[in-house]
Amino acid sequence: MIDPAAPLVIGDIVDLLTSPGEMSRIVVEGLAKGSLYLMISAGLTLIFGLMDVINFAHGAFTMYGAYIAGAALLGLGVGSMGFLGAMGSIFVVMLLVFLLLAAVGVIFEVALIRKLYEYPPIFMILLTFGLAITLEELMRMIVEFREINNGQWQIDWATPRIESVPSELASVNELGFFSFTGLQLIQIAFGVLTFVGIWAFLNKTRYGLFVRAGVEDEEMAKALGININRTFTAVFAVGSGLAGIAGVMLALDPLWAVNVPLALAVLLPAFVIVIVGGLGSFKGTAVASLLVGMIDALGTWAFQTGVITFTDLDQLMIFGILVVMLILRPRGLFGVEGQGDHG
Amino acid sequence: MTLLELEGVHTYYGESHILQGVDLEVGDDEVVALLGRNGVGKTTTLRSILQLTPPAEGSIRFKGEELVGKDTYEVAEAGIGWIPEERRMFNRLSVEENLRAAVPTAAGVAEGLELAYDTFPILEERAGQRAGDLSGGQQQMLAIARGLVGQNELLLVDEPSEGLAPKIVTDVGEALLSASASVPILLIEQKLGLALDLADRYYVMDHGEIIDRGETAGVTADDEQLRRYLSA
Amino acid sequence: MSSEKTTRGPAWLGQYLRDHILLIAIVAIFVAYPFLYGFLTNQFGIVAAMILPETRTMLTILALGLFAMSFDFVSGYTGYLSFGHAAFFGIGAYFVVMGFNGQIPLVPAELPFMLLLVLGGLVAAVAAFLIGLISFRLSGVYFAMITLGISEVLYVISNNWDYITPGSSDPSDGVAAGAPSDVGFFEPVLGIPFVDPLNAKVGPFGDETLLGFDFGDPEIVSYFLIGAAVLLCYLAMKRIIHSPFGKVMIAIRENEERARAIGYNTFRYKMGAFMISAFFGAIAGGLLVAYVGTIDPQNSFFFLVTGFALVAAIIGGLGTLAGPFFGYIFLEGVREFLAREGSGGGLQPFLEQTLPGGVLNINLGGLTINEALDAFMTGHGEFYAGIIFVLFVLYIPIGLLGTLRQRLGTDSVAKYVSRRVADRFGSSGSQPAE
Repeated sequence: MIDPAAPLVIGDIVDLLTSPGEMSRIVVEGLAKGSLYLMISAGLTLIFGLMDVINFAHGAFTMYGAYIAGAALLGLGVGSMGFLGAMGSIFVVMLLVFLLLAAVGVIFEVALIRKLYEYPPIFMILLTFGLAITLEELMRMIVEFREINNGQWQIDWATPRIESVPSELASVNELGFFSFTGLQLIQIAFGVLTFVGIWAFLNKTRYGLFVRAGVEDEEMAKALGININRTFTAVFAVGSGLAGIAGVMLALDPLWAVNVPLALAVLLPAFVIVIVGGLGSFKGTAVASLLVGMIDALGTWAFQTGVITFTDLDQLMIFGILVVMLILRPRGLFGVEGQGDHG
Repeated sequence: MTLLELEGVHTYYGESHILQGVDLEVGDDEVVALLGRNGVGKTTTLRSILQLTPPAEGSIRFKGEELVGKDTYEVAEAGIGWIPEERRMFNRLSVEENLRAAVPTAAGVAEGLELAYDTFPILEERAGQRAGDLSGGQQQMLAIARGLVGQNELLLVDEPSEGLAPKIVTDVGEALLSASASVPILLIEQKLGLALDLADRYYVMDHGEIIDRGETAGVTADDEQLRRYLSA
Repeated sequence: MSSEKTTRGPAWLGQYLRDHILLIAIVAIFVAYPFLYGFLTNQFGIVAAMILPETRTMLTILALGLFAMSFDFVSGYTGYLSFGHAAFFGIGAYFVVMGFNGQIPLVPAELPFMLLLVLGGLVAAVAAFLIGLISFRLSGVYFAMITLGISEVLYVISNNWDYITPGSSDPSDGVAAGAPSDVGFFEPVLGIPFVDPLNAKVGPFGDETLLGFDFGDPEIVSYFLIGAAVLLCYLAMKRIIHSPFGKVMIAIRENEERARAIGYNTFRYKMGAFMISAFFGAIAGGLLVAYVGTIDPQNSFFFLVTGFALVAAIIGGLGTLAGPFFGYIFLEGVREFLAREGSGGGLQPFLEQTLPGGVLNINLGGLTINEALDAFMTGHGEFYAGIIFVLFVLYIPIGLLGTLRQRLGTDSVAKYVSRRVADRFGSSGSQPAE
């Protein structure tokens, strides 16, 4: 890092970009951010791909996951557990959040979403948008309620990370050219795990086969004896669970705040990634996540080193990618004709 | 014994009344051809049986069990296979995955693949290819194979020769003939000669109703009456 | 309409009036509202204050109701969900403010408000044209997401670009018209150009008289003028929808393939509809600024601005034009009903004043009723609005006005009711159906 106040010239930027240390820092950061983005958008793309449902409540699910994780980690006293204990707890919390939100997903799909399959896809946007508003306000109520209740429950959401996350995660490790924090390593590990897990689910399991068959031709899949409604429910559950897990990861990352607006802060980049990758293509989503992660890391680097002074540069760049992509390739990187077109 | 029985089936697409009281039977060891000009409701009849376009009125019984009101996947589970018009491959899935998706149970997959590959060796050669990359004839074989591996007790076959070269049509015809040895078929086919070769009995449809029926024995493709039914 | 019919002026006028009794009645209610509000709150005190929105809230409702109608104009009639419609609202609002502040190239500072308003609308229409070039290549979900993406880009820019705020305050806090020291006071004049008596200054410090009447309150004058502008925009949009152009828009919604097959260049019609709706969306933004004089990203370019227009449109009835306006009133009503103290009264202030003090402090399992209200009702209008919205989507997807139309078997509730009223009171017989 150099003094942000000093003016930079092109030469300096080239120097920085070509220095192995800086480069590797950007790459690691990009991978870590890309992993987070993948976790954020994986559930969205699964649900859209099969069901043609753009789930606007996705961000709210992530926000709930983050809150539950924050509360659980704090409640368990993870901060004073030692590294292994803490990691174990995080893992358990993650599993818990996945199951909890998957259950919520099942309830939503069976009770609400299912009623609208016969309607134009726009009605799905409307329904899930309404759910998103309601869920967000509900969380706001819960948070306020805790504050009112004699402060017993009050949690300063800025600090739980410091208290609840082992300090090992923040320290910097070196490996050859690469330097990374424990947190980045975990993020990348979970990103890879998410990718491999979903890939294996889709390509190596019978259920995944049904999902891919259903994505292509719902009627034919039914006529082959596949219970597509049950598949829908399962996919919505998995997608919701994944949204929750992403929330757990975000709760650990100091760059993201655990608050109600997190829902929207997650939802919009997730949309961008899913569209840039091509609606309904998991491969596309993975590639787009990495792309957006890298560009985000580059933008953050440019801001930190003072090359550019624009606070929300990362957001601007993310939506910039969307617009550029849609001008060049309207269907995204791996989009398929016909997906998401009608109505 | 009667395997499939349609009684007074009425089906609508939106406002339009497509099937206007269809009565039809398929026995448990026969091939039945459903003949008629384009747009008289033949495909709709198959879709009604599968509950893809549920009938508004009437009864459809399979092995004595009522199908109306069931889900399509339950109809398929009951043992009815569909080899649809234009084949409807899962284009992005491999040949093998197309077959796997059609086998009802995980345990039956190995056996199903063996059956399919024995019947159509070409499919084994292409097992790893995307189904969308196959030629039309190969796709039709895959579609028939999907019907065979589904452990079905009745196949609904819709226009199997459509868009295929004459030589391939012969192959497809032979494949259906050998399939019919083990499973009854309800067949829609424009090529009258092929239909009469395969079928034991026929029904003729017009304007959503059955207007004629009979045995195919002794009837040729030159039959005056039939030709009149089928000319536009 | 045949020419001999139109030449008979009075008959045509009589027909028009008969057809629009309901419209006239509703306008009359809106005109009377500020006085009605004062009267009712005087008469019935806190009960009326609890239910009725303040005149000041009505100003916002007028502007945002117009925005909801402009959203419906394209989304409800062509079926293309304009999910980034807030972009146009923001463009209109920011154009008025930044144009007045002299920050827009080629636009001299301190132009008259009306000119800025219309220019802003035109800029928004041009923006819609550019966005349409990209987004009309696709349909459905893609169209919605592209427009959303572009409006988000504008939101981020408006949140961060310090050029917007001269004097280096944070752009995310918003910007006021007349903020730079070398620019004069922002005194927007609204009315019919060049007809002096029909013009007045809008705003908290604007004129208190209009047409020679002294209302003693600039709020009421602003309310009338902005209301008149909204009415004009509504009539213009309605006119377009009932024109052959509007028929094609509806044909596109019903079946675009077929509309194209009949020979319509659907792209042109979609683009036209999108640009018109952008124009009126921007006018709505400009009108919001007219009274408050400031704008910030959260209340203009933000995604939820579109979101609530959408909610209003669904509750009122998508594709009914007037429905979303009433939907917005309903929505804002719910919000104000559950508002905190000091913003127009609502449920909690009402209960506080009417119930004996002890009741609200009854303890229910560690929580007093007052605390429970605070936690679960007050300030959480969105929660209940969200639930109502979801119920509408599930059970009344065509909205209130849509349901009325279906029940009455007519394509225009206003005409239906108007004719029934006219028939009842014995004016010259029944009218031929259109």
